[in-house]
Amino acid sequence: MTAPAAPGPVGGAATGSIYDLGYRGYDGPRSGRHVVVRALLRQSLQEAYGIGRGGRAKVAPFLLLIFNAVPAMLAVGISAFLNQAGGSEVLEQGIPIRHDTYWSLTSTFVMLFCAAQAPELFGRDQRYGVLPLYFSRVLTRVDYALARVGGLFIAIFIVALLPHLILTIGAVLGAPDPVAGLQDELPEIPSYLAMTLIGSAVFAGVSSVVASYTPRRAYAVAGIIALFIVPPIVIGIIAALSVPDIAKVLLLASPSDVVDGVNGAIYGPLRIGNETFQIATLPGWVYVVTALAYVAGSLAIVLRRYLTVTV
Amino acid sequence: MPLIATKSLTKRYPGGVTALDDLSVELEPGIIGLVGANGAGKSTFIRILLGLLEPTSGTASVLGYDVRTQGSALRRYVGYMPESDCLPPDTTATDFVGQMARWSGLPRAAARERAAEVLRHVGLYEERYRPMGAYSTGMKQRVKLAQALVHDPRLLLLDEPTNGLDPAGRDEMLALVKRTGTEFGIAVVVASHLLGEIERVCDHLVAVDAGRLIRSAPLTSFTERTGTLAVDVEEGADKLVAALTAAGIEAVADGRTVLIHLEDERPYDLVRDTVADLGLPLVRIEQRRRGLEELFQ
Repeated sequence: MTAPAAPGPVGGAATGSIYDLGYRGYDGPRSGRHVVVRALLRQSLQEAYGIGRGGRAKVAPFLLLIFNAVPAMLAVGISAFLNQAGGSEVLEQGIPIRHDTYWSLTSTFVMLFCAAQAPELFGRDQRYGVLPLYFSRVLTRVDYALARVGGLFIAIFIVALLPHLILTIGAVLGAPDPVAGLQDELPEIPSYLAMTLIGSAVFAGVSSVVASYTPRRAYAVAGIIALFIVPPIVIGIIAALSVPDIAKVLLLASPSDVVDGVNGAIYGPLRIGNETFQIATLPGWVYVVTALAYVAGSLAIVLRRYLTVTV
Repeated sequence: MPLIATKSLTKRYPGGVTALDDLSVELEPGIIGLVGANGAGKSTFIRILLGLLEPTSGTASVLGYDVRTQGSALRRYVGYMPESDCLPPDTTATDFVGQMARWSGLPRAAARERAAEVLRHVGLYEERYRPMGAYSTGMKQRVKLAQALVHDPRLLLLDEPTNGLDPAGRDEMLALVKRTGTEFGIAVVVASHLLGEIERVCDHLVAVDAGRLIRSAPLTSFTERTGTLAVDVEEGADKLVAALTAAGIEAVADGRTVLIHLEDERPYDLVRDTVADLGLPLVRIEQRRRGLEELFQ
């Protein structure tokens, strides 16, 4: 760059130097905290899907979004085919892909989504030292943390909810009588909304905790995966060695098992083919309360992180 | 209302390090140099003014806002350029500065427009559409300045803006700082450990050492004249000293320079006459100014 020319008057003769344009102030509106928090929430949701970043950033989130929905698409396709073939009543019982089984069948994809994308929302700003720039602006530290957690939660909720919407639409459109199909499907909606809301909130909460304390991406990814798959293994070993009753309670220390328990509390025992699996061995409300405690506890830990981190 | 007012500002870090010690200062708008050695408390001072850091005791207000209780409102009108790296390498300067404008409360369209304008202003053209990971240090420092300016603040807080720049880059950055302060009517606080740099752009100087205020005064009063007259001669410095001493004036030779203690006007004529009488090749006669460096000796 060449040395700046002597600045001319605003709008002065064009000499080819940008400095002649002069500096203009900004007299437009300046929003307060609430508007900025909403903007950061939306930005976080976009970042969770790699939107606004290069193409490679979009691969993992969208693949996982699609993978998680593939079973629902297959189920809808098979049902439609069977309906046409006239064998729906018999064979529909054989398709284990239903609202009540969906979370247990595919939550691995939701977990992988958390592991891949939570570090994007929480790690980058810490890794690259951007936090001081956020905290020296309108947002408070609490605002920032809530917007990040909220963005991740909505992103996960979309992943978890999409297959249920596909199942519902498929059931309505595929039914011989769409109105009757809708009537059959309506009672399902509050159940799967509740299930996916709670599941997404727990998954968002615990992955936010790991990611906010672990600026290094690789460690955060490994940490989140470990948090979901190690506790069930450890508890399984403990159960094998000692009293199974203790293991039932210990399972509450495993976030993924707690969410499966919530699924059981909402839908009852898991039914696949002719077999049923009793996942919820404690009263259903215990899992729901524990899940909510996970959410509240995670939020508290994440807020603590951002209130105390030195920038 | 002063731009910045602090009263007995103290910051002790856990572990017993006192970064700021009972610092009271009142500053009026202008370009204010905050000068001190590394670790003197400059960054701590700036971060307290932004509300990034809680003071242990004492009070501080910026633009009339209390930094403890009105931080969010205050920060809408303050721009901050940190000393450390703060640019994500996989984001373009346009996107990054635009986002920062939004977090300062600008609507989306205005944020984009201001980002483009302010990046051009700091001298970033086509490069601004490339990811910042490939930028030189000079370009990164420009983006850091741009994000601090993008919301048109009333006050800019710059922490070591010339860090890591080569001499040409330093000149350009300092020129930008000076222009920001003089033409745009934005008050600037610029922290640096390099006195030579800071005295080129500032009109007011705050000197800190070990967390304590040494002096806060207009730049001119830092460099006021001292009671020393320097006479450069090409040869015969010792003869001049002998003649002056004989006339009852305190003088010492320092190489080819003779330093004369000035108590009144008398030495001026005497030096002229003595040099003429001795026929010495005179280079210059100059009244010495106090150097900024003396502050810290």
